[in-house]
Formats: sequence, structure tokens, C-alpha cells
Amino acid sequence: MKANGIQTRHYAIDRAQRTTHSNVEMAVSAAKQCMDDSPVPVKSVGMLSCATTQGDMVVPGFGSMVQAGLRVPAVELLTTHGICSSTVMAIKAAANSLRLGEHRSALVVASELASRLLKSTRYEAAGGFAAMDFNSEFLRWMLSDGSGACLLESVPRGRCLRIDWIRSFSHADAFPVCMGIGTPTDAQDARTWQDFPTYAQAEAAGALLIRQDVRLLEQMVKLGVDGALRLIEEGVLKNQDIDHFLCHYSSHHFRGKIADLLVMSGANIPEDRWFTNLYTRGNTGAASILIMLDEFLRDGRAAAGDKILCMVPESGRFNTAYMHLTAVGQ
Amino acid sequence: MTTSEIKRPAALSELGQATLRRLVRAWFDFERRLAIVPIVRRLDLGTFTRDDYQRLLLNLRPQVVEGSRWISRCASSFDREHTDIRSVVLRHAHDEHRDYEILETDYVATGGNLETIREQPRNIGSEALNAFLMHRAGEPNPAGLLGAMWIIEGLGEKMAANWADRVEELTGVDAGCTRFLRYHANNDDSHMDKLYGLIDRVCTNQGAADDVVLTATVVGRLYAMQLEEIDVEP
Repeated sequence: MKANGIQTRHYAIDRAQRTTHSNVEMAVSAAKQCMDDSPVPVKSVGMLSCATTQGDMVVPGFGSMVQAGLRVPAVELLTTHGICSSTVMAIKAAANSLRLGEHRSALVVASELASRLLKSTRYEAAGGFAAMDFNSEFLRWMLSDGSGACLLESVPRGRCLRIDWIRSFSHADAFPVCMGIGTPTDAQDARTWQDFPTYAQAEAAGALLIRQDVRLLEQMVKLGVDGALRLIEEGVLKNQDIDHFLCHYSSHHFRGKIADLLVMSGANIPEDRWFTNLYTRGNTGAASILIMLDEFLRDGRAAAGDKILCMVPESGRFNTAYMHLTAVGQ
Repeated sequence: MTTSEIKRPAALSELGQATLRRLVRAWFDFERRLAIVPIVRRLDLGTFTRDDYQRLLLNLRPQVVEGSRWISRCASSFDREHTDIRSVVLRHAHDEHRDYEILETDYVATGGNLETIREQPRNIGSEALNAFLMHRAGEPNPAGLLGAMWIIEGLGEKMAANWADRVEELTGVDAGCTRFLRYHANNDDSHMDKLYGLIDRVCTNQGAADDVVLTATVVGRLYAMQLEEIDVEP
């Protein structure tokens, strides 16, 4: 914890590692709070766009379970599959659906219950702590549970955020898996978890542990910069105009040579414009960008006309997503 | 005649900034190409062997030997209007002109035969890379080679920072076998300051800036080809 600077995190499991809130319960709770703040009745929502790394059930999709919890009738449903950036995919699909005129409102919900993966019993089943390497332990100190939601509407209402553009760049073609669940501890063993005769054997081989290839993390930072430079080159992103930068990573990942390069090339965003709640909320994966946006707005930091850049780098197999928003209305 | 020494500027011009952004993108593109080169992929995936390491050194040596030659030729191609750049290149040539000896010692330390590495011919990628660099270095005032320096020095840093420990971890060789990889750990500020100074000095018009970026891109492609060929040639 000293190394990552995280002071507080939230778990939806208790000290005995029993689940206190399911992933769907957290998602539904965030969605209800979001809808309570809006005059739009939940039953009239046209699209429900959901993201999580791992639902409570393997199938059906997480969105189905959230819809059931919310009791939204005959909604168009989307569940995006991925990790942190899956929420940005869910927002983009919802926003595009409004732009096409197919719906007038879309509810985006993201929730994460990673602590269940981090129970001591999971590590014991995979050979105990003596069998653990830093890659399988790393995320134990980072991940946190949480959920967030946002309502998208085709017409602005009161003080709100306009989505200017959403873009992402995936690099799975070039780089190996950096964070994942499903492969055994033995790197020479090419099987994935369902290839084992029983799930118990898969677990014993460490194939159900969440792992981060810490050595490849530096690549994530570089690819985050790479995407921003692509957008600057295209003329889509004007970094000097950004008033608030909400990043799923904290600024301490961008120190040293890369920070100097960003300043010298005029591609930086001054540190006083960065906003993060990583240190108080932990890394809530897919939910993090919505939780961060909510806290940012509640703090009253956005004035009308302010430009906000959200950046969500997903280390899974290197996908970086960017979302540009403008605060509008009274 | 410019006699002043090349130093870090307080800030780069708009063109200098745009060029630096393009160079950073060219570097990321190079890293991306490297990541799919089979021998580098094995390093990432953890399947890299001692045999891989020996073949890496064997295939790097011809280009490292030639490296000192193109840098020296490059220095001699700058006229009196560019003596400040020539000074930087000369120092660089002096620093690097016997690097290959370290590489040979590393190869022998891994159990390789000195004659074998000395007789190793250039692979197809090294052939193309060397031909391109020698050609550019012979042109009058070849400032575009700043782009080559950007890629090759960057790779030196990457070898030291990302490859050396990994090679030792995966193959069991000791630090006495990875001195060449570590030799280019040039992370100090003065190195970057010099680079910013050169961008400021060289990129005074769009054509010169484009030339730097093009050279960086070509060198990156050919360098990746040199490493790809390790898995093609016996």
C-alpha cells in the first residue's frame, strides 16, 4: 500500500469474506441513485448499457441481471465484455444509439466486485502463499469494489455534461496479456481454465487467479501517451484546452522521462488539472471512471464551458480509451 | 558559422514540439513492431533461451561494428556551418566505436566461440539497415540522421532497462554476459538535453523536420527486420 499510495478501499465482502452485496445489487443501487436524481422514469429508459469485469453469474450477460433488478421493461440491452475500458465501450454504444435517434435516453451502469477474487481461500487453493509470485499478488493491494451509473439523454437537461467524442485504441495485436484470469501459474502450460478436467483442478493450477504482468505495466503508460498523441495529431484533442483531466491512473505513473517528453513536446496537461480518487476509492476497474466522474461533479469542480478529458487505460491486453466532455447548462 | 554548443533549450519552437511528438510516436510504433518480432516476443512471454541470447548477440554484432563507421562518416559530412552538430556526432562516434568488443566478450562469456561471432555475416535486415545508414551518412549535412540516433539510442536504453535483467532471469546467464545490453543505460538528463538541443537546432523548417521523422521511421522498420531475421536465418 505504501508503494501505490492507496489509503482506503471498499469491499463488498465482510471480514469473514462473505459477500455482503452482489455485483448486481451494487449495479442496481448505483442505477437507482442515478435515476432518483433525474425526472426521467426508469421505465422509460430506451437502452440499458452495462459493464463489469465479471458478473455474479458466468452467463447470462450482466445486463440481463441488472435489467431484472431495475425492472425496466423491453429495454434494448448491451453488456460489454472486457475490463476497465468496457465502461467506455458501453457509454460509446449508448451515445451512438442516441445520436442515431433510436432512443431518447440510455442508462449506463458499471459495477465491480473484485474482492471475491482476492479471498485468502483462493490463494490457498492455488498452492498457498508460498506458491504466489508478485504478479499474482500485485492486484490484491489495488483492487476495490464499487459501482457507478450515468443517464445519457439526447437533449440536455440542467447542468450536465455533453459528450463531444469518445475514441479508443486497442493494441492486443502487438502485445501479450498484461492482466488476466484463466491461465495457470505455469507459463509453459498453454491450457486455459475450462480445458482442465474439473474446475477444482483449474483452481489448483492457479488458472482462476487474477494476475498482472507487472513488467509490462510500463507499456501501458506509453500506450496511454501514444493514443493521446494520435488524437493531438488528428486535431481531435487539444490538450492545452483541457480544464480537467480525469485519469484512471494517477499522475505518479507519468513521472520521469515520459513527463519531461510530454512537457517538451507541448502534449502535457498541467498537474493541477488532474483529478483522481484512486487513493481514497482504490482501483474499481470498470466502475472507476463513473465513480470518478460522480465525485468530480459532486465536488462542484466543473464550471459551464469547462472541457474534461477522461482517460481509461486498460492493461488487460492494452486498450486505451479517451472521452471528451464539456460542462454545459445551468 | 555556428560555434555555440548544443544545449537544452528553455522550450522548443512549435515545429520542434510537433517533431518531438512525431518522434515519440515513431518510437512507440517501433516498440510495437519489436513486440511482435519472434525473439522479442519470447522475451516477453518468458520462453527465451540461452540459445536465443547467443543468436541475438551473433546477429547484433555486424551492425554494431558498422555502427561506428556510419557515425564517423556522418560526422565528416557536416560542413563548417554545422560544426556544432559535428561536435556532438564526433563525441558520439568516439563513445561507441569499440562497443562491439564488449559484445564479443559477452558472447564468449555465454560459452560462444570468438571465431564464430567474428565470422558471422550480416543478416538481411542488417544489410538493409547498414546500407541505408551509410547512404544517408554520406549525404551533405545529414541532419536527418538525428532520427536514426533517436531510435538506436532509444533501443540502447530499452535493452538496458527492459532486456538485460530479463535475459539473466530467463537464461541463467550472469551480469558478465550482459554488459553490452547494459552499456547503453543512458537515462541521464544530459542525454535528453542534448537531444532537445539537436531538435531545436535541426528542425528549423518543415522539410528538415519531415526528414528527421522519416529517417527515424525507416531505421525503426529496418532494425525490426534485423531482429526478425534472427528467426529466419539458421
